[in-house]
Amino acid sequence: MAEELVPDWEDVARRYGRKIYNYAYRLTGNPDDSADLVQEVLLRVRKGLERYTPGSFEGWLWRITRNVFLDDVRKRKRRPTVPLCDDDRGVGNPSPSPDEVLSSVRLSEDVQAALLKLPIDFRECVVLCDVVGLTYDEISDAVDIPVGTVRSRIHRGRKMLRDMLTWPL
Amino acid sequence: MASVTHACAVGELLSAYLDGELSRDELDTVVSHLDTCLDCIAEFHELRQARTMLRTLPRLEVPDRALPDIHYGAELSAYLDGELPTGEQPVVFAHMALCDRCRNELYELDAARTAVRSLPRLEALLERRHVDQNVVPLRPKRRSWVAASVAAAVVVAVVSFAGNEPQGPVVDLEVFSVQHGARLSVQSPASMFDAELTAADVSNP
Ligand SMILES: [Zn+2]
Ligand SMILES: [Zn+2]
Repeated sequence: MAEELVPDWEDVARRYGRKIYNYAYRLTGNPDDSADLVQEVLLRVRKGLERYTPGSFEGWLWRITRNVFLDDVRKRKRRPTVPLCDDDRGVGNPSPSPDEVLSSVRLSEDVQAALLKLPIDFRECVVLCDVVGLTYDEISDAVDIPVGTVRSRIHRGRKMLRDMLTWPL
Repeated sequence: MASVTHACAVGELLSAYLDGELSRDELDTVVSHLDTCLDCIAEFHELRQARTMLRTLPRLEVPDRALPDIHYGAELSAYLDGELPTGEQPVVFAHMALCDRCRNELYELDAARTAVRSLPRLEALLERRHVDQNVVPLRPKRRSWVAASVAAAVVVAVVSFAGNEPQGPVVDLEVFSVQHGARLSVQSPASMFDAELTAADVSNP
């Protein structure tokens, strides 16, 4: 997966725009903020590509993305996100069967809402792993933490999600 | 709702195990432990479930406003004729999988190209006139040039996207993806995106 050549900026936009957007959305739950973030990341990528030397492109890109995200968080001091509630569920069906409960718990809205409840450090590693699809090494590079820390954050993050989203079998 | 908690140290390795991120030794430890420990087996299943829920979250489309306005209008004719530099061909191809605007433009250009190419052939007119005027029939040399250009038009790989104009140009996708080694497909963009994650999943049990 290593990128040998320096990609051009438009190439980055095309190839990574959607991933960056999904990363941002899963971290914030806010489509507008996420679109802004994509724009800002691409802007910084455009400026930064002049100085970029071929190496771990993914690591470089996700470090930038992460910085934009953190800057944004600092700036806004955490504007409340919109966890989607049960408006769209159980309409005309006030007492869903256990099966329906079980399947509804897997609605992406629930997963998203649970993600937003994770501490940001865990959420970030989980999203980079399970939404963006980075390896632990790449996450370690992007977040600038040891691989062992990546490992435990992903594990603890998933355990918390499991506790929020599943029932004992 | 918290499920069973237990004290196995191996439990800490289960996420990395699912991600194929364990060292050889750790892997052996986990595998043999899972043979015996019901708690860890249960935890393994729950973690896998959580991981699956994350990985099957819908891949959202980027709103247009977030992306710069990059299109290939100027390159599309060269693309159609297979005359783009090798490196650019797959980039334009990938772009068109996502861009209606360029795709539509490509179809229009292709239609125009087809119209031009299907103009009555000069030879045919000449032939009739020659016949009328009782002169020598057309030159073989000229005919072979036309044949070659028609053959070239067939050979040129042009993209056809599923679900669009039936008249659209045709591409040999297999040849194309072999040539470019890219993860190209005529599937929806969503499935293109998912394919990457599926690839990341491969190493997992
Ligand atoms: Zn155990
Ligand atoms: Zn376009």
